[in-house]
Amino acid sequence: MKAPTRSSRQSWSANRRRLALALLGAAAVGIFARAVYLQVIDTEFLQGQGDERFLRTVAVPAHRGMVLDRNGEPLAVSSPVDSVWAHPPTLLAHRERLPELARMLDINVAELESKVLARGEKEFMYLKRAMEPDAAHRVASLGVPGVFLQREYRRYYPAAEVTSHLLGFTNIDDEGQEGIELAHNRELQGVQGEKSVIKDRLGRIVEDVESVREPQPGRDVALSIDRRIQYLAYRAVKAAMIEHHAAAASAVVLDVNTGEVLAMVNQPAVNPNNRQELKSDLLRNRALTDVYEPGSVMKPFTVALGLESGRYTPETPINTSPGYMSVGRYTVKDTHNYGLIDVSRVIIKSSNVGATKIALSMPAEKLWDLFRKLGFGRPTDIGFPGEQGGWLAHYSRWSTIGHANQSFGYGISMTPLQLARAYAALASGGVIRPVSLVKVTQPPAGERILSETTVRKLFPMLEAVVSRDGTAIQASVPGYRVGGKTGTVHKIIGRGYAKNNYYSVFAGFAPLSKPRLAMVVIVDDPKGKSYYGGLVAAPVFSKVMAGALRILNVPPDNVVDPKRQPLGTVASTATSPNAASRVRP
Amino acid sequence: MLNIAGVLARVRPPRTEDSTGPLPPLDPWLVFPALLLLALGVLMVTSASMPIADRQAGQPFYFLYRQCAYVTLGVVLGYFAYHINTETWYQRGPMLLLVVMGLLVLVLVPGIGRRVNGSWRWIPLGIMNVQVSELAKLFAIVYVAGYLRRHGAELRTSIVAMIRPLLVLGVLALLLLMEPDFGAAMVIIFVALGMVFLGGVNFWQFSAMQLLVVSGMAVLLWSSPYRRARLSSFLNPWEDPFNKGFQLTQSLIAIGRGEMSGVGIGASVQKLFYLPEAYTDFVFAIIAEELGLLGVLALIGLYTVVVVRAFQVGARAERVRQPFAASLAYGIGLWIGFQALINMGVNMGVLPTKGLTLPFISFGGSSLVVMCVAYALLLRADVETRHDENPRLRRDRLLRKVRAP
Repeated sequence: MKAPTRSSRQSWSANRRRLALALLGAAAVGIFARAVYLQVIDTEFLQGQGDERFLRTVAVPAHRGMVLDRNGEPLAVSSPVDSVWAHPPTLLAHRERLPELARMLDINVAELESKVLARGEKEFMYLKRAMEPDAAHRVASLGVPGVFLQREYRRYYPAAEVTSHLLGFTNIDDEGQEGIELAHNRELQGVQGEKSVIKDRLGRIVEDVESVREPQPGRDVALSIDRRIQYLAYRAVKAAMIEHHAAAASAVVLDVNTGEVLAMVNQPAVNPNNRQELKSDLLRNRALTDVYEPGSVMKPFTVALGLESGRYTPETPINTSPGYMSVGRYTVKDTHNYGLIDVSRVIIKSSNVGATKIALSMPAEKLWDLFRKLGFGRPTDIGFPGEQGGWLAHYSRWSTIGHANQSFGYGISMTPLQLARAYAALASGGVIRPVSLVKVTQPPAGERILSETTVRKLFPMLEAVVSRDGTAIQASVPGYRVGGKTGTVHKIIGRGYAKNNYYSVFAGFAPLSKPRLAMVVIVDDPKGKSYYGGLVAAPVFSKVMAGALRILNVPPDNVVDPKRQPLGTVASTATSPNAASRVRP
Repeated sequence: MLNIAGVLARVRPPRTEDSTGPLPPLDPWLVFPALLLLALGVLMVTSASMPIADRQAGQPFYFLYRQCAYVTLGVVLGYFAYHINTETWYQRGPMLLLVVMGLLVLVLVPGIGRRVNGSWRWIPLGIMNVQVSELAKLFAIVYVAGYLRRHGAELRTSIVAMIRPLLVLGVLALLLLMEPDFGAAMVIIFVALGMVFLGGVNFWQFSAMQLLVVSGMAVLLWSSPYRRARLSSFLNPWEDPFNKGFQLTQSLIAIGRGEMSGVGIGASVQKLFYLPEAYTDFVFAIIAEELGLLGVLALIGLYTVVVVRAFQVGARAERVRQPFAASLAYGIGLWIGFQALINMGVNMGVLPTKGLTLPFISFGGSSLVVMCVAYALLLRADVETRHDENPRLRRDRLLRKVRAP
């Protein structure tokens, strides 16, 4: 075969080259067309598929509102903390770094290792939650692979145990669990926001795409509490608790005109900032959740009913001789034989026999009706989780001794708050008001349950209780006229009244000429030498009331000698005669 | 451009025995697309690999450093290769093929070869693992180009002459299939066929042969369950997107996200552990995501320039009667174009997964270095043919031959 000529060979070679290039070019055009299809035509479907895989909606925590006292002082604040979390597979790949990590986290190495190993397949685990930002950043600066920080908020209570019972606490996820934190959780918490983010395949957020919903920060809640009075009350109650080796104690201070709770303290208490020690027993807001038989502090109400009926005046004589009386199969006793005394002295001397005689001279229904109106036997609806309403039996079920017992505060139970509210009703001249833990802007009108004249007749009796003649001289407040009533109540232990276990109670208000504050102190089971309400609870009342009146700038109404004790130096309690008596055990 | 061309001109071309003058300067139309591809590769491999490098090596630039090292090694070895004239490659061709076949046997020996992802493909060589199949591609091309020069005349008449080299390559392909490396075998066979076709084989015989090879490959595809599984999963990846279709669907999502101009360099989401092999075989998907359709177009454009230029070199070599250089240029051009098309096709789900890199771009030492060396051969073929095209120089050479005793 003849070899082709040079020119024919060249054209033939060029044709083949063109064919090969054309085929490659066609393939390239095909590839490009495919790219156009994927990137322009089908892009929506593909991006949708992508979004399904890495676009996630995550919650944006809303900043929890503060709890403030009535003057805007913070009682509960959320402060930023960092939680340390890990991606276990990454961390396990650098197992040699666990010891230094454990040291920084202040946990046991073996424990850390077993925890991480147990979650070796997972994408997320907390190593330690809610660390101080400084400490957390020290952990982060170790640079251990697979260890990350997450910003969170943690609740701090600047007043610590002083407000612990009242405020309650939040859990690790910043949700209210008890107390005000629980009751007002909705307002405080706000509304979580949502944002869509891009996550990598390990679940880490790489990019914020858009905010779906802005978080609404929680609102601040302003309580009715005055932090200064709260501190004062807490200190006094705690001191009494220690002095008398008591099991528990509570105190409530109410604003007579508005029904606002200015202070509410309890013992025992615990610092809520230290979560390890939180025990329900220490957290209970006893002033609201525990009920007591009030005892003699109820006598003023019995007497008020007698005065209101018109059958008694403060001067009406009542024979309490010989210091006891029989009611059916039972006997009502006084501590002494007071003989023939008037109605005033029934209060001043706290005569059970006298109170019984007044009560039994009137229909049971009347007493029950007054108690009912005073708010006993049902919660005050102050809006606090776990509030108790106490026990008030219907009068139709009262026996005669039952009726008698009611007159001096047995067979009925109530919370310290309920008692304080009833005394506030006395203090305001017979008008009962709803109580409130949040600041009140418009004082409620209240409901008249006793006539002003009746109540005014009670005031001198209650003032006399706080005198050398009465049972509670130690409740007196220098510079102010004070009215109140003591109670020393046998505790119920088991099936009956214990012989040597008491509640020491004092309830009162001041200043008498224009009452502003009502207060109740209950000390549970004082084990010292003294257990009388006048010796255990009354001094607490005095200390707190003295301070509170001064804090609130309430003008004194009992300046004995302006020359010797001018208004400006009222604070010199140490030199007053009453102070000396208070030191007495 | 001109300035750089000037720099290139100053690179002293090597002297050869049979050239009287210096070789002409390098062709910027060949050099620049390759340099651009290398630079794009370094950039995109870095972008695509940073998350995984940070996680696995604790060092986001781990792959950047390595890629730079490979590019440097490739350029250095390419420089040396450029200084070897094509005549030497022509003579050593069969020997090189034998060496590479030996290595392909070695790689299958358990103590020597190293298995990665279920394939025996690597021979550990201290700091670097060498992937023999990359070397096999280059040496197969050198061998076929040599064969075509040796037996060019027979080829146009005898079918035996055409089948002979294909049988040799068949053995090579078999060794590759044993690794298994179906992709490399396919590239070698198709590039060889293309070279034979361009080398002037009888058209009808060639077509028959082509049919035979294609059907043979089809049989191969269907005979292996793992290849069949890949084939079916590529046909409809959305059927099983979290298992068999995982890689492909992630790749398609990446490409789709790119739209016209891309999400921007560094902004790919799919590289965040969603797309496996994002910096090696599937780096194209990340390029498409970050640079968009325009980036894809630029990439295809660069490869087009390289291939067309390589074919022009081949045409010139034929003109100056250098059939070896011609076949070499065709072969290398076909190889680059072919492998780039397959890789992009795989990324876009029009071809089943092959394990082929994107030339000059994908991370991988062997593929990069061998590609640089191959490109140096192409550059060498270019300058030699241009040198010979210069009539004065050719006359001088002929004169010298006449005068020689």
